[in-house]
Amino acid sequence: MIYYAFSILLILLIAPLLLGFIKSFKMFLLYKTPSSIFQPYRNFIKLFSKEMVISQESSNITRIAPFLVLSPLLIVVLFLPPIVGDAFYVRFIDAFTITGLLALSTFFLMMIGLDSASSFGGLGSSREAFISAIAEPAMILNIFSISMMAGDLGIAKASVNLALTFPAAHMASFIFAGISFFILLLTETGRIPVDNPETHLELTMVHEAMILDLSGFYLALIEIAASIKYVIFSSLFASLFMPFGLELNPFLATIVFVLKLVLIAVVVSLVEVNMAKLRLFKVPNLLGVAIVFAFLSLITFYVLGA
Amino acid sequence: MFQFDFLSLLFVGLILLGVIPNIFYTLGYLPHIKRKTHFIIHYVAFVASMIGVVLANNSIVFLFFWEIMSLTSWQLILTEANRKKSTLAAAKFYFFMTHFGFVFLLLFFLIVSGGNFELGFSQMNEIASAFAYPTLLFFFLVLGFLSKAGAVPLHVWLPYAHPEAPSPVSALMSGLMIKMALYGFFRFLFEVLYPWDVEWGILILVIGAISSLVGVLYALSEHDIKALLANHSIENIGIILIGFGMGMVFDSLHLYTLSSFSFIAALFHIFNHMSFKSLLFMGAGSVLHQTRTKNMERYGALIKSMPITAWTFLLAAISISALPPTNGFLSEWMIFQSLLGSQTIDNVSLKLAIPFAIFALALTSGLAIACFVKAYGITFLGLHRSENAKHAKEVNSLMQFGMILMSLVVISLMLFTPFYIYYFDKAIFSLGHVSIYKDIFTTNIFNLHSVANNGGVVSPLLLLGLLLGIVTILVIVYKVLNVKVRMHRTWACGYKTASNTQYSSTGFAGPIRKFFSWLYKPDEVITKNHIGDHKTKFSSANYEMHVTPLFEKSLYQGTTKIANMISYWVYRLSHFEKTRYAAMVFNLLLTVLFSYRVFSGDFSWATLILEITVMIISIKILIIGETR
Repeated sequence: MIYYAFSILLILLIAPLLLGFIKSFKMFLLYKTPSSIFQPYRNFIKLFSKEMVISQESSNITRIAPFLVLSPLLIVVLFLPPIVGDAFYVRFIDAFTITGLLALSTFFLMMIGLDSASSFGGLGSSREAFISAIAEPAMILNIFSISMMAGDLGIAKASVNLALTFPAAHMASFIFAGISFFILLLTETGRIPVDNPETHLELTMVHEAMILDLSGFYLALIEIAASIKYVIFSSLFASLFMPFGLELNPFLATIVFVLKLVLIAVVVSLVEVNMAKLRLFKVPNLLGVAIVFAFLSLITFYVLGA
Repeated sequence: MFQFDFLSLLFVGLILLGVIPNIFYTLGYLPHIKRKTHFIIHYVAFVASMIGVVLANNSIVFLFFWEIMSLTSWQLILTEANRKKSTLAAAKFYFFMTHFGFVFLLLFFLIVSGGNFELGFSQMNEIASAFAYPTLLFFFLVLGFLSKAGAVPLHVWLPYAHPEAPSPVSALMSGLMIKMALYGFFRFLFEVLYPWDVEWGILILVIGAISSLVGVLYALSEHDIKALLANHSIENIGIILIGFGMGMVFDSLHLYTLSSFSFIAALFHIFNHMSFKSLLFMGAGSVLHQTRTKNMERYGALIKSMPITAWTFLLAAISISALPPTNGFLSEWMIFQSLLGSQTIDNVSLKLAIPFAIFALALTSGLAIACFVKAYGITFLGLHRSENAKHAKEVNSLMQFGMILMSLVVISLMLFTPFYIYYFDKAIFSLGHVSIYKDIFTTNIFNLHSVANNGGVVSPLLLLGLLLGIVTILVIVYKVLNVKVRMHRTWACGYKTASNTQYSSTGFAGPIRKFFSWLYKPDEVITKNHIGDHKTKFSSANYEMHVTPLFEKSLYQGTTKIANMISYWVYRLSHFEKTRYAAMVFNLLLTVLFSYRVFSGDFSWATLILEITVMIISIKILIIGETR
């Protein structure tokens, strides 16, 4: 139980750090002077102490939605796979519940976009609705594929099973699911080929457009939610698709886990530096690739025999 | 004549749950209906006939109540007609389609009752199993009941008929009447046609998957709020049929536990859909009643003037989008779990087909979220888009009470899941299937277990508790920080914040419509008032878009075209000269002679070709003659 509490705390605390790391690593790759990797924490503290401006056109939805954007993601954090071998974990939560909770968070985010009567908000919501609708089947299919390989539909249990007995016979479907999940990681967390979190250009923004009219505490909640969403996806990737390190002693296992997260962050920033943002109507092609790989993974798994 | 077994009583319960809140809503709505007596008589008869349908125990009683149900609902659609062309057309279409289905039901009963219409349902099984072509009977059921339920491809009437009725009746029709068709489907498949071929289950599964996708895609393209909801009925019927079809597949493969699980999931979704769809139609009815328009582009900001409607609508919207921890999520979760139970199927090709159903269901739930963000955001949020919305007020207290009561039904389905599942299990058990209540709630009633191999678990109360707990903590943090709040208008890049710069519902669905344009094939009209001869400068522009459903275009209008062609030829025939009639008789004689030889087994390709040549020549010379 102490490890469980510790791992939740670690994941929550490391979330802003990872985003800060990606940003400064990208700046380093582009020969700029990197910003501090602790910048996100400073931003949050600043936002918490600031005065809040609420749009007078908006309704009570804007007042409650930021809480409901963040809290489903916090619930998902409670259900994540363990990072230390014999730690307690919630073993039974399956992919559909997790995608449902993520979708609940997105639902209220889209509501915020439509609530402030600005055209930017609607624009962001519309695009987000489009992207997340197409991402949903890929997400469900490939998590199911991986949990079938692991022999348990509960995600946390599946990751433990994978770490204990790796299904080497199903390497092909494992890799297909991994590719598909990485594309989803980029999509759902709004990284570059799909969305650019750093600009406020109306041609490109998706996530930022929805939250333009928030400030202060509410903006901090949404920004925290974005960082937690990133850490959820990267820790799922780390636990499901790099299933090793659980058997080490707790201290080493934690370090291995953090290294895995850093490695994912490095890969994400390399992708971001080397790719241009896709046009909105090219995004379904990318997601189509994710869906096809998820299908391939399930089908190879079935054909090779469970 | 009547029977009171568990399935019937379950559906009586469903009707009561749907009707009691509706009665309060209707009482509030009544002052705005002109033909009150007409409305009340048909409303009461409609409800009574639905109860009659689920309690009937022989063909004649069933068909009687079924027909009363169809006719009263048809009259209810016409309540507010006032010679409005769209309403009359919709009612005509509905009248035709419901009797199209009725013909097949009649055929079904003629065969399985052996001519004795007072035979009880339980005795029909023998006659049906002695019948040589059970698949024919199955197709009668599919055509008869699923045309009423609104499954693809027999769904086109539904988005026209349901929105035209007064709103409380739309709620009844979408929430309850289409469930009566599913009840009939359940009842006769279980009692009369059991055991099933595996292909039947697959057919239902395919119909379900296609219905759910088609329903949600056309719902997204709608900007008439009631038509949007009606299209969502098609989607949810599809989801129910996925669960039901999966149950049939499992049953014919002798996986009885999984099959019971799927049936329970389907029944659960029937209840859930009744609750949230009635609530949505009531909310839409309140909005429509206050703004006098069905067009979503003219709504906006209604959450400020109609809070009760807005918050109950939000609850229903979250539930229908299958977001946790609501009841809609629970039943879709169960259907997903039953689809995943397919890993235990031995037949590999069947197993490979199931992921496509999973894909359809997942895409459907993703698109449903987009659709209800659109429906809710455009209707209730932002600034009012027209004068109609500006002067809207909250509806009267009876209508409010009806909506609150229905949202309590939604919440009770979420909180008391084990209670409901206990009765679904009883009903399935009474139809001779395995009881699996003990497998679903193994240790306590808080965790819902899937019966699939290594299946998942969901705990609605845990999720709800966590959600409330974490929100409370965050709110406490917010209070402790004591944040200063200032109100200011939305920044619109220096311009005035105006309602016409907001996203419209057409615009919101734009990306999805563009991506699925191969399906929608929208008719787009763009008109611009160009300034001078400039190609790129214009003073005003107008964009109009209309989507005609593909099925309507191809299937229904195609059928009309073929019928027209045939009737044209019949017309031509009846105006032939007398000599040609004689020639036709001669040709007919030839056909009979030639085909008799073929059927009697004296067949060879050479003579067949010769005979066909003779026939063609004689038809050409004697009947068609010279072309003018």
